[in-house]
Amino acid sequence: MKELDFEADKAYANQFLSTFVDANDKPKYLEILQQVANRKIRAIQIDLEDLVNYIDFKAEFFGRVIENTRRYVSIFSAAIDELLPEPTEAFPDDDHDILMTQRAEDGTDTADVPDPRQQIPSEIKRFYEVYFKALSKGRPCTIREVKASHIGQLVRISGIVTRCSDVKPLMAVAVYTCEDCGHEIYQEVTSRVFMPLFKCPSSRCRMNSKAGNPILQLRASKFLKFQEAKMQELAEHVPKGHIPRSMTVHLRGELTRKVAPGDVVEFSGIFLPIPYTGFKALRAGLVADTYLEATAVTHFKKKYEEYEFQKDEEEQIARLAEDGDIYNKLSRSLAPEIYGHEDIKKALLLLLVGAPHRQLKDGMKIRGDVHICLMGDPGVAKSQLLKHIINVAPRGVYTTGKGSSGVGLTAAVMRDQVTNEMVLEGGALVLADMGICAIDEFDKMDESDRTAIHEVMEQQTVSIAKAGITTSLNARTAVLAAANPAWGRYDLRRTPAENINLPPALLSRFDLLWLILDRADMDSDLELAKHVLHVHQTLESPALGFEPLEPNILRAYISAARRLSPYVPTELEEYIATAYSSIRQEEAKSNTPHSYTTVRTLLSILRISAALARLRFSESVAQSDVDEALRLMQMSKISLYADDRQKAGLDAISDTYSIIRDEAARSNKTHVSYANALNWISRKGYSEAQLKECLEEYAALNVWQIDPNTFDIRFI
Amino acid sequence: MGGPEYDCLTNPLGAVRISFEKALSSGYNPASSVGKDWGVVDLFRHYFSDESAISQIPVLDSSTIKWVQPKSLVRFRGMIQDMLGNEFYAGSYKDGVTWRTNKYSDVSQFPESSSSEMKVWERRLLYCVPVPGQNQWTESSSEELKNRFLNLTGQNREKRVRVDEEMTDSMESNTLEAGLNGSPYKKMKSGEATSSASGSQVTDIPPATSKDSLACLVKIYDSPESELKLNDVVEFLGVLTFDANTTMDMDSHDENSDDLSEAESVQMPSGKVPRLHCLIHRKLETQHFLRDSSLLVEPKSPQVFKEIRESLMKYLTGLLGNDHLAAQFLLLHLLSKVNGRVDNIAVGKLSLNLIHLNEESMSIFGTQLSNALKSLLPFTQSMPLTIEYLNTTSLGPKKDYRINRLMPGVLQIADGTHLILDETELQRGTLNSVGVENAQLLKNLVECQKVEYDFQYYKMEMATDVQMLIFSEGKSNIMPADLVLPFQPSQLNTLEVITPETTEAWRFYLATCKSLSHSIGQELQQVVENDLVEARQTDRSLGSQDLSRLLTLARMMSVSYGETTLSLEHWQMVLELERLRKERLK
Repeated sequence: MKELDFEADKAYANQFLSTFVDANDKPKYLEILQQVANRKIRAIQIDLEDLVNYIDFKAEFFGRVIENTRRYVSIFSAAIDELLPEPTEAFPDDDHDILMTQRAEDGTDTADVPDPRQQIPSEIKRFYEVYFKALSKGRPCTIREVKASHIGQLVRISGIVTRCSDVKPLMAVAVYTCEDCGHEIYQEVTSRVFMPLFKCPSSRCRMNSKAGNPILQLRASKFLKFQEAKMQELAEHVPKGHIPRSMTVHLRGELTRKVAPGDVVEFSGIFLPIPYTGFKALRAGLVADTYLEATAVTHFKKKYEEYEFQKDEEEQIARLAEDGDIYNKLSRSLAPEIYGHEDIKKALLLLLVGAPHRQLKDGMKIRGDVHICLMGDPGVAKSQLLKHIINVAPRGVYTTGKGSSGVGLTAAVMRDQVTNEMVLEGGALVLADMGICAIDEFDKMDESDRTAIHEVMEQQTVSIAKAGITTSLNARTAVLAAANPAWGRYDLRRTPAENINLPPALLSRFDLLWLILDRADMDSDLELAKHVLHVHQTLESPALGFEPLEPNILRAYISAARRLSPYVPTELEEYIATAYSSIRQEEAKSNTPHSYTTVRTLLSILRISAALARLRFSESVAQSDVDEALRLMQMSKISLYADDRQKAGLDAISDTYSIIRDEAARSNKTHVSYANALNWISRKGYSEAQLKECLEEYAALNVWQIDPNTFDIRFI
Repeated sequence: MGGPEYDCLTNPLGAVRISFEKALSSGYNPASSVGKDWGVVDLFRHYFSDESAISQIPVLDSSTIKWVQPKSLVRFRGMIQDMLGNEFYAGSYKDGVTWRTNKYSDVSQFPESSSSEMKVWERRLLYCVPVPGQNQWTESSSEELKNRFLNLTGQNREKRVRVDEEMTDSMESNTLEAGLNGSPYKKMKSGEATSSASGSQVTDIPPATSKDSLACLVKIYDSPESELKLNDVVEFLGVLTFDANTTMDMDSHDENSDDLSEAESVQMPSGKVPRLHCLIHRKLETQHFLRDSSLLVEPKSPQVFKEIRESLMKYLTGLLGNDHLAAQFLLLHLLSKVNGRVDNIAVGKLSLNLIHLNEESMSIFGTQLSNALKSLLPFTQSMPLTIEYLNTTSLGPKKDYRINRLMPGVLQIADGTHLILDETELQRGTLNSVGVENAQLLKNLVECQKVEYDFQYYKMEMATDVQMLIFSEGKSNIMPADLVLPFQPSQLNTLEVITPETTEAWRFYLATCKSLSHSIGQELQQVVENDLVEARQTDRSLGSQDLSRLLTLARMMSVSYGETTLSLEHWQMVLELERLRKERLK
């Protein structure tokens, strides 16, 4: 093996530290060193990224740092010792400094003694710690992937912290004074146990052939903070049918108290074996335990706002955005295994995207989260949809109205079992702050929770005044609820108000209330039979006919979209106002209204439109967004209207006609553009095909004329 | 190969060493190999390629552990209960100029010289326990071997020193090779220590399911990770290392007991839990437990299947008080297994809920039935669902981070286990939070065939394949079974005595039919499709689950006749059965 020239490497490290400049042309490490000299910070984190970006980059050196990290920590420390500037600010001397000055003076007296034990180890002089941070490119390892070949190397591992020990002092340098000769003796400690000195190694004691009597000086010795933690693989990294593995992590100095059990973190660290000592070494024979000596900790963020894009994700998003039809593509990729329900999936996509929160000048807040309630017959895959959405959202809590006991959905004051103090414990809605809370069996919720949820859904806070604790917690969450109709199945003979077993005050808070009815229909039955047969025959789902997007791409796209806050241009205001008033009027006319249209509905329209604009990566809401929002609102109750129309004896074609006629009459025009007509009818839940059919049929009756090129309508 | 220098049975480590030396001479480089296999696995595979050779190896269990020698070849049948991650060991080192290996052993075989070059290799640790609910009849094959050993040694278990000596003498023809392990005197001593230690301590291994069962820590080399999964029932063939000196471990543990030390040697002193260095392993199917393995080879005609089916049906009908319909469904239920999973649906599961049973009839039919199932199926378990049981037992496995082990729950069971849930004893009462959680677990198990493992910071769902038979007075709400059938016995039969041959044939029948593949022909597919649509048109409440159940029933019906494609006759039988069942429910 080639002898490695550590001196040269030290010189290189020295050169790197003193000449490296970051993107802003600032000497990054010299600045850090100055701060260290001024005792402002203790940790010097050397980012390996900088090493790669350094002008005079040496791949070999870099490789050596990765492979033999521990050695290079000391090489860099030695380089820093040489480089460390004089402090530019005065700082109060502590015990350590006083000792150091004394030692320096002593040192001059005994400089002639060439005893290595008596030389002050550089370790004791250092008041900084050197850490390497691994390259953040690429995927971190899972614990499973760390193999024997990684020993001694710098690795990056992600996992969840399961246990943490207390922070304890760890001796780094033991200092003794000899009772006989008065010399100070230093002993560097590198492992967890050490053998104390019993013989004084100084030249005087040796000359007098005395053993001496070294006494350990705790105040003069150098201690490091030390903490041991246990890390475990994340659930998504564990292969099917296996158990998550765990690993011991040692945290020293400034890295202690950085993690707590339950944190999802990424460690950079050196993977090292622990030599067994004493009896254990005898018993364990050939086996070595291993641990990770952490050099950097990064906490994972679970919020959209802090989502960091992986390298290729940004490209993919850009490609998707250019592609057009992104709305359909994304919505289809939600729960691809659930057949149909296209419009519901669109609504759920908008729930994920949400609208920007608005804070008015007088301090009033208008929520941006879109709340959706799915109400339907049993067995229409409501729960599956809910669970899937939770998986896509970076932060989501799934609960059932009944299942969340104790703390409930909101918050509760509990007595801590250990300290016996009253503590506030957040429920599902509080835990889902800045995320999504899916509540299944919404109709079976406790009465106390139901009242609390009113506040959550509009004010987005949970207020609590119990046991002397009066406070309000943030619950900025989008609520996705699923409920069954009042009698288990939707009873078409009763009014919607009777079927929907929720108070109007609660219902009006949902932006969309989606009724999913399981209706007798030969086609869908055949589809179901075919599906079940296929599953039993081939043990896999039928082909989807399209390539669904990966959940992480979906997540990345949504988080990119969430960064925008689109506004409503003034020219659209009139349009929205008209649409709103027409819904109100219609409702006034009908004697059994299907919905309660309030001012909240208007806000809902705006919210959904804004979410649609976000999906297009647009800064302003377009008319098409508003139309789509209105269409979704209509579609949410389509299964009811179909029935109404049958009762009224109207078929789809004549209904389409009456819509166009009414709208034209309202605006007092005889000329209607095709685009307008399409908007009107799609708002009522009809398709383009039906419009075309209608246009042809009534043109044949000479009710109107159709422009052969633009399909514009002119009433006769 | 197979000559005296390779005595795999009595001196496996010797064989490993010789083959390592051979591999070295043919260019195997330990420095760069990361411990990759150099032909040992093939060597042992070849040696133990047929059943008769395998049956020569003693099976490790709580009784054999008393006389089996350390460093000898044993086999262990068990379920993987926990995975302890990997372990790094000094795999090979240079002794002077030649490489030596430590693979397949815990301690170095050669006097440790301060070796300059040492390579660290890794192996995986699996914690295995006897399969929960394993029935007596599956162990019979090991019983024989033990008897043979004991007969040879004069059946005197107390005089173990002599037992050991004689045993080594009488061990097959090539016992002389055993001398390689060490002097006979040394062996005698180790045998002594083993017996005294195991006699007192082997009984209280904490995580094992029953008192006298023996857990084993298996060390796996080379095989890919995906091959062995949690809860698999596997037979491991390997080198046993077993150390009776447990006290020392305890002492060394004390000095740093407050830190996070959780080395498996501390919790599982090798005196209690033997180590097995696995050479080869294979997954066990029910067929492997059948005594007469020759049955497996013969291809069977449908006629044979039909005959066995008839006799079994007669037996089951008798058991169920002449309720023919219940017997039909019970048979189909016994043949069910999860064939695959398609987005959250376990295809092929068929849980059966017999209702209208009270405590009285339960004590008659339930006991009969559970005894019968015990003799027919390899793994069975039963669970009394009382309020107290639900509130106190931990059904789901839970990770204990204090000792870094997975604490087994009752529901950590091997695939293919039959589970009887007796709800007739359920009384009015309040479930506490444990009870609610347990009820949730059971419901999830019945609906999705999944058990949630609690890892405290997150939960992981493990797929299972458990046949569930539920007895209850009314329809069970905790466990919504696939089939609900009111039980209508007409008379109480005294059970006839069944010959062992018949039982064996039935076991064989159940195991074989279960593993048959099955498909539906093109034309019948159309018929089935139409029937399904029609059924749904007449009854709107039928969901995809009900349609799925019909197809599962059809499959079971078909395989119960030993056939692999669905015939119209069988499909109609299923529809008729369903009609009768619906009638009873009214």
